[in-house]
Amino acid sequence: MTEPLTFMMGKFPAPLQADRRYCKNHMWCQAAGEALRFGFTTYAVRLMQDVYFLDWEISEGDTIALKQKIGHIETSKAMSDLFAPVAGTLVRFNPELLNDPSAINVDMYGNGWLFEIAGSDAETLSMNDYHAFLEAGWEKTQNMLKGHM
Amino acid sequence: MARNRITVVLSQAQGKHPAKRALEESVVAALLMEPGVEVSVVPYLYDLGPDHTGRMFLESVRGDMVLLSWLFPRAAFWILDRDGIKGHWGESQLKSPHADADDDEAKVPEPPKGIGALDVPNRHIYALDMRDFNNHEVYVEEVRRIAAECRERNEKKQKATTPAAPASLVQLGLVTHDEPPAPTRLFEPEQMLQAPAGRRWYPVIDYSRCTNCMECIDFCLFGVYGVNGEERILVENQDNCKKGCPACSRVCPEQAIIFPDYKTAAIAGAPIGAIANLKIDLSKLFGGSEKDAVSQAVLERDRELVAVGRDAVGTAVGLPKRQMQSSAKPKDDLDSLIDALDSLDI
Repeated sequence: MTEPLTFMMGKFPAPLQADRRYCKNHMWCQAAGEALRFGFTTYAVRLMQDVYFLDWEISEGDTIALKQKIGHIETSKAMSDLFAPVAGTLVRFNPELLNDPSAINVDMYGNGWLFEIAGSDAETLSMNDYHAFLEAGWEKTQNMLKGHM
Repeated sequence: MARNRITVVLSQAQGKHPAKRALEESVVAALLMEPGVEVSVVPYLYDLGPDHTGRMFLESVRGDMVLLSWLFPRAAFWILDRDGIKGHWGESQLKSPHADADDDEAKVPEPPKGIGALDVPNRHIYALDMRDFNNHEVYVEEVRRIAAECRERNEKKQKATTPAAPASLVQLGLVTHDEPPAPTRLFEPEQMLQAPAGRRWYPVIDYSRCTNCMECIDFCLFGVYGVNGEERILVENQDNCKKGCPACSRVCPEQAIIFPDYKTAAIAGAPIGAIANLKIDLSKLFGGSEKDAVSQAVLERDRELVAVGRDAVGTAVGLPKRQMQSSAKPKDDLDSLIDALDSLDI
């Protein structure tokens, strides 16, 4: 069994879980029945901090393309459009988050999941690959965060 | 006495969201019982065209007014202003729970930079955001507080214009200055529910920020903007605006252009000094392609031009050089923001 990895964002740990796969848009991906369930990684949540608003622009049952814009999130420190991590059909959104998105902060790897898509996880990354992806991008990300403001 | 009554208008949410409807109904029910309060319901304010009865009702209100709506207060206030329903900005004590705790210190009121509203009558308009709380009590309490505040202000005003000893005729003339007629309640909430307005999309100018720089009129190629006789910018042809396109708002150097229904808070009219202006856009990190405001505005405009069979113009039209080159932003905000990111323990 693979040991969980932790990516260090500077001196702050962003733990990864070994029981799932990851996407380059900083979501995790795990089989849930017939579908794939997605949520934010600790890496994403740390950058965003407290989630205030979460809006979806598509509906359950819609066909979505990879990287299609599907929604928007606003947090205490950031905002971002959200994009489909894989192509497929949107099965459902996490109903709990529609009223109160705070589970994203409290339990991002569990109850704070975002949505389920019927699709393939062939394009997703293993935990090790995602960790390496974070390593490779960390300096650029820091520059982006600083440069963007 | 009419002067001591305050008009509360609730502008409903778009659509039929049950939770929103429930809050609206409980607020109205509670306010109907409130002495000294006239309560009316209109559909979603932003969608009300000039002929809509709800808008005509709003126009008929003369005294102080509280507007409850599912819009940022700034957006609601300046929509009313554009519709000719003017007043002084009434400061609500309700603070959005979404605002940062340190907002208060950031809210040292800057001297207004904008050109301001025209012909503001002697009354206050308070806008409350229905999205802030889901408990009707909070709103009822705030309406009570505002009613008391207005009563006090009006009494003071009356004293100021009423000389202690009978003075000149001119001053006496001021006192009898027309009593605002009590607004009649034209619509029962039930009736208003059946009169939804079609959705509209147009920019709203916040004249407390607008400096009349004319960049919006240069940028927009759809004839939405115009100027009045005094060369003051105004949204002349609201319905020329292209649904979903907030491009002019992005090029406005003062962020004075509000699209109340746009998804990002800064464009939808979030409060001045709110953290929204300083938020990092993580879209690139989360899979989007990063674009600065101006290039995004150019793309949005080109998309709308092509959609109506015109040629895309890219950056060739209506962009001041100043914005083309500058990306310099205050360094302090950046540093403290990165520090804030780092200091958080997850």
